[in-house]
Amino acid sequence: MDNNNIIEVKDLRINIKIDEGTLTAVRGVNFEIRKGETLGLVGESGCGKSLTSKAILGINEKKCKAEGEIWFEADELGRVDLLTLNPRGKEIRSVRGKQISMIFQEPMVAFSPMYTIGNQINEATLLHITKDKKKAKEISLEVMRKVGIANAEKRYDQYPHEFSGGMLQRALIAMALVCNPKLLIADEPTTALDVTIQAQILELMKSLQKDFGMSILFITHDLGTVARMCDRVAVMYLGKIVESAPAVEIYKNPQHPYTQGLIGSVHKIGTKNQERLFSIEGTVPLALNLPAGCGFYDRCHKRIEGVCNVYDPSLVDIGEDHKIACFACTGCPNAPKNQEVTDK
Amino acid sequence: MLKYIGKRLLMFIPTILIISVLIFFIIQLPPGDYVTSYVAAMAAEGEIFTAEEIQELRVYYGLDDPWYIQYFDWMKGIITEGDFGFSFEHNKPVWDVIMERLPLTLAVSFVILVFQYAVSLPVGIYCANHQYSVGDYFWSFVGFVGTATPNFLLAIIIMYWIYVETGEVYLGLFSTEMLANGMRWEYVPEFLFRCLIPLIVIGTSGTCGIIRTVRAQMLDEQSRQYTLTARAKGCSEATITYKYCLRAALNPVVSGLSGSLRTIFSGSTVSAIVMNLQIQGPVLLAALKSQDMYLAGTIVMVQAILVVVGTLLSDIALAWLDPRIRFSERG
Repeated sequence: MDNNNIIEVKDLRINIKIDEGTLTAVRGVNFEIRKGETLGLVGESGCGKSLTSKAILGINEKKCKAEGEIWFEADELGRVDLLTLNPRGKEIRSVRGKQISMIFQEPMVAFSPMYTIGNQINEATLLHITKDKKKAKEISLEVMRKVGIANAEKRYDQYPHEFSGGMLQRALIAMALVCNPKLLIADEPTTALDVTIQAQILELMKSLQKDFGMSILFITHDLGTVARMCDRVAVMYLGKIVESAPAVEIYKNPQHPYTQGLIGSVHKIGTKNQERLFSIEGTVPLALNLPAGCGFYDRCHKRIEGVCNVYDPSLVDIGEDHKIACFACTGCPNAPKNQEVTDK
Repeated sequence: MLKYIGKRLLMFIPTILIISVLIFFIIQLPPGDYVTSYVAAMAAEGEIFTAEEIQELRVYYGLDDPWYIQYFDWMKGIITEGDFGFSFEHNKPVWDVIMERLPLTLAVSFVILVFQYAVSLPVGIYCANHQYSVGDYFWSFVGFVGTATPNFLLAIIIMYWIYVETGEVYLGLFSTEMLANGMRWEYVPEFLFRCLIPLIVIGTSGTCGIIRTVRAQMLDEQSRQYTLTARAKGCSEATITYKYCLRAALNPVVSGLSGSLRTIFSGSTVSAIVMNLQIQGPVLLAALKSQDMYLAGTIVMVQAILVVVGTLLSDIALAWLDPRIRFSERG
């Protein structure tokens, strides 16, 4: 494990048992997050980005089975593969919320309606930092102020339904940051908020990242927020990372046909009204009984018959920190050199 | 909150009044009255009354007045003297008839209520936490069978089984010896055993129902986002189950309590008849059959009051449990 990396995910596969069979939702994902950086995990709904992030914390539902390795430099446990820990055990709980914490898509339902916001934030403090209730409350209040909750003392005793969506997201962030984690996983934290609040929350996260010096795994399907937030971007399609590169590179020089499609489908200010937005043809296939070959084959305009529908490409370097999984782009029309061959 | 409770208490008065009129009216609806059924019963034993004698009986019991006059007399008695009328059948004041059986009724029902919750809450939580496990299937099976089996049938089966196994008949809570000699310490084990039978018979269906409710509710809550948040925070599974899920799952269980108060006072009529339990339910049935209207009316009235009170109590409990309800009441 590279010392600059806070976490390394290696060949992560997640199988979900459903009535129709086993659905492979994540099919061998590799990425690493460096200290202090923000990695954006981009992809459309159902591509496995949320499952991947939850697998890090081991909080996926029981029917989801994760395989592979997730290496993390934990405080007490040392260098540890998080997937080997019992998902209900003490060890993983000492990581959750303290060293890796997570904020969610819909702040309105992320808090239990039965307890005050203060109670729920304080719970994390009491679990991980101090057993002293007075001290814990002080710490919790301080974090609430830091995330911009005005009147924190009064807000502390209020219930979630007395908060607005934006305020709840701030409270959720406070709860995630109260233990000063090394890694914050943000699962579409602004999707449910309106645009002005979105901007505020993103700014808040950026400034808090500087204060706390943490890394962020930023999951989104919104390319606009990616540009604003992320240092590097990994694009996911159908349970695999198809391209990863620094954020600027992704925008300026997208290589994978899917990434190109995504970038092309973003509306840019200044384009003429008559121009139609680009859209990717077809729909995402169901990840059940997938055919061999590249998952994007059916929708790809660069596909090479006899190669792309036979072999599954894996990520290869094509430049400075730029990786891509595509036969058509890496210039190997016939032989899948150092590419993974799918089991037939 | 106090203001709200006060308001609700004031609402009681018109509610109860309207209910009492309805009760009285409905009890009067079937053709005939107590005298009719009394005369019929006597005729069956060979004693025939003349029309004049019957009319005299009517006047004697005050049954010749129109029903609303009878109602006003009854209400006047209740409000001014706390007199709930006279039971023709038992030949003593209604209140005495009710009080006779009240202690035992309350004891039996209360124990059953506690039994129901004591069994169903843990089992429901277990089933939800181990969904689709062998234990879950076992309890679901028991639950459905328990809900579907009529109590009186269960009573007959259990009593038959005990009779076959032991050769003893366990009818009622007290054996003939106990009744003859009064309660003694040596009877306690047998008494407890006798209590166990109605407990199982009457308690089962309720217990099974609550198990299903608790299981469904817990499963619902477990799939909520906030359980995920709690887990991501590092909470233990016990905290998630008891602090988060159970607390939210209790709402329908608590609202179900409002009906329980009525059943405590007089429920399980048929089972009680089958098992020969000296509790309130059979009295009501007998009173209705013989058109002993003041007794029947009073019992139904008390039931109605208990339902109203029970609803208020469960509403207060809900407000205490769920902050969202608490706050919407202010508006």
